[in-house]
Amino acid sequence: MLETIKLSKTFKEKKAVDEIDMYLDEGESVGLLGPNGAGKSTTISMISSLLKPSSGDVKLNGLSTIKNPSEIRKVLGVVPQEIALYEELSAYENLKFFGKIYKVKKDILEERIQEVLEMVGLKERQKELVKTFSGGMKRRVNIAAALLHKPKILILDEPTVGIDPQSRNHILETVKKLNEETGMTILYTSHYMEEVEQLCNRVYIMDHGRVVASGSKQELLSILSTEDTIQVQLSKKSDALLEAIKGMAAVRQVEDTNHGIRVISKKGSNILADLVHAAENVGTQITHFQMEDPSLEDVFLHLTGKTLRD
Amino acid sequence: MGSFLKKDLLIFWRDRKEVLIALLLPIVLIVVLNTALSGMFSKDGDSIDIQVGIVEEDQALEGFEQFAESLNNLGIDEAEKEAILSQASSINPSEMLNSFFNNPEIKQVLTTRVVSEAEALELVEEGELHAFVIIPEEFTYKVLSSIILGEEVDVALSIQAEEQSTELSTLQNMMNDFIESINLEFALGSIAEGENQEPKLPQGGIEVIEGVETFSFTQYITIAMSTLFALFMAQTLAVKTVTEKRERVFNRIILTGSNPFHYLMGKTLSTFILSWLQIMFTITITQLLFDVFPDKSLEFWLGLLLVITAFALTVAGLTALFTSITLNVTDTNAASGILTLVIMSIAVVGGNFTPIQILPTFLQRIGEWTPNGMSLTVLLEWIQLSNPGNLVIPIVILLGYFLVFLVLGMAIFPGRGRN
Ligand SMILES: Nc1ncnc2c1ncn2[C@@H]1O[C@H](COP(=O)(O)OP(=O)(O)O)[C@@H](O)[C@H]1O
Ligand SMILES: [Mg+2]
Repeated sequence: MLETIKLSKTFKEKKAVDEIDMYLDEGESVGLLGPNGAGKSTTISMISSLLKPSSGDVKLNGLSTIKNPSEIRKVLGVVPQEIALYEELSAYENLKFFGKIYKVKKDILEERIQEVLEMVGLKERQKELVKTFSGGMKRRVNIAAALLHKPKILILDEPTVGIDPQSRNHILETVKKLNEETGMTILYTSHYMEEVEQLCNRVYIMDHGRVVASGSKQELLSILSTEDTIQVQLSKKSDALLEAIKGMAAVRQVEDTNHGIRVISKKGSNILADLVHAAENVGTQITHFQMEDPSLEDVFLHLTGKTLRD
Repeated sequence: MGSFLKKDLLIFWRDRKEVLIALLLPIVLIVVLNTALSGMFSKDGDSIDIQVGIVEEDQALEGFEQFAESLNNLGIDEAEKEAILSQASSINPSEMLNSFFNNPEIKQVLTTRVVSEAEALELVEEGELHAFVIIPEEFTYKVLSSIILGEEVDVALSIQAEEQSTELSTLQNMMNDFIESINLEFALGSIAEGENQEPKLPQGGIEVIEGVETFSFTQYITIAMSTLFALFMAQTLAVKTVTEKRERVFNRIILTGSNPFHYLMGKTLSTFILSWLQIMFTITITQLLFDVFPDKSLEFWLGLLLVITAFALTVAGLTALFTSITLNVTDTNAASGILTLVIMSIAVVGGNFTPIQILPTFLQRIGEWTPNGMSLTVLLEWIQLSNPGNLVIPIVILLGYFLVFLVLGMAIFPGRGRN
């Protein structure tokens, strides 16, 4: 129902978004994953008609929204990355104001406000000023304000950044419910892999303004089907061992982790014996090892050479 | 649009600090400045030096002779005639005036010199004299006829000046006092002599040619401060737009698909209401505290109301324009900085900090065309002259400013959030 076609945005010299092709089908929950500065927010601003693309198009049900953004504004609920609320007003007053300018009918507005407050779990505190709220509560009102007009598509831009785990869980559950129970189409932006894994059927991975991979979780994991991930625990850490392993022909990547080291090697290369030898050579011992299922995190590492939290 | 207006008013109201500043600061400033400076102004009597020309068109001796002759025509006996003449010589109007001007206390502030009318006009024009007093022809004769014989005569001392000034009004007050004291003296004198008529100086007494009333320092400071703070109100509300933009609320407003003009009109209307209320509040409270505008007619207050309403509209238009500008630029801090600069500049040249007269002439010209300068000028003029005709053009111009600002603001209002 919504698609982007070679969507691009250049700020001065910088290509923030570079020929992105994406689509959202009705009822889907899609993740947009990428590190800070990848171009996620810029993409969302263009989709939601706040920002004019440098080139490319955004289509709603096959019709371009660039020239006439009013249609897409009607069906879209956008939860911006920033808290877009009046701090001086109460949660209720904020929702009332936005509800009125969303042209929610007068006779149902009150009911609707209570409904969205219920959804985000802030019914009891609706009379308090937003500026007295914690970061997590503000984020929840921020979401509530985007739901007032019952949008068909909900776009959330990193809605869980910098908040307590409780609010975070609440938000994730709310989004899941909206998708599963009301059939709302979701585009969920995040740089937390586990959120996207939990919520989304399909994922786009962005880096440096480009989509570097996309597909269902299984499809993305199959990118790594040519690799083995081995988690190794050592009696004693050794830099020399790291170097030695890096030198092995079948090894693609070595990473220092909390528990020991993680080795990514060519599938079926059977390097376990080599690892044991190498450890002995530098005077340490492998106390434990485990073949790991790759995670999306590993896919990301594989594609971009960096972790999501860089 | 109602939603936007309500929201803007509510947000302003929530900021108690801002509300208090808007309502109390102008009044506090008026009280402080008034106490501190008006004392200084009235003590100015010591340092003031009023240069007055005396144009003597009267000939005292001939006046006496003329008076004596007129007694002959009345057909009274010699003895009575003698008595009247001796009374007349004790009065000697021009001598009285003379001794008034030479009174040591008066001489501290007045410097007189006798000049011809032509000279006097020239000197006034050159600024050498603040004013000149004309003692008209037949002054002695007419005053004596009036006082002693109770005849109706037409005579008046006149003060002429080029323009209204503190010196002029001081001189005028002193002369008034002088005339009054003489009137009193004769009234007492005639009672002592057991006569029943109340001698009076000629009708008209003193006539000032230009600028009958002047405005007081308190009046100036009241109007200057209330209009100044209305300008600040424009700034306060325009800066709220900066916040709305920075906090992305404006983006959310755009996403609702609501008509952007409603947003702008909400800003405009809330600024109008708040600045109007603020000026009215300031003027009402200072009026109650100081009786700033004593004994003014209903007509005066209506005129004041009209000008203030027009000015508040202009201020609202200014906010509309600045709101649009703020939404268009990337650097909102620079935008609010420039706004502050503009507001302070027009406040200075418009005469909100000091009377416009002390500025260089070219700045005065500009200042008269700023909305605040124009309102200030027209209101001070209104206090002095109360001529409704003088209000029309400035009000039309102020409304014109409002429309121009508003239309410009609408024209550049952005349709999208980020650019
Ligand atoms: N208004 C702007 N002007 C210039 N550069 C921008 C602007 N907005 C974003 N960028 C740049 O574009 C890139 C992508 O930013 P953004 O879309 O916010 O990334 P993300 O949301 O994925 O963290 C960043 O390098 C950022 O600095
Ligand atoms: Mg972002």
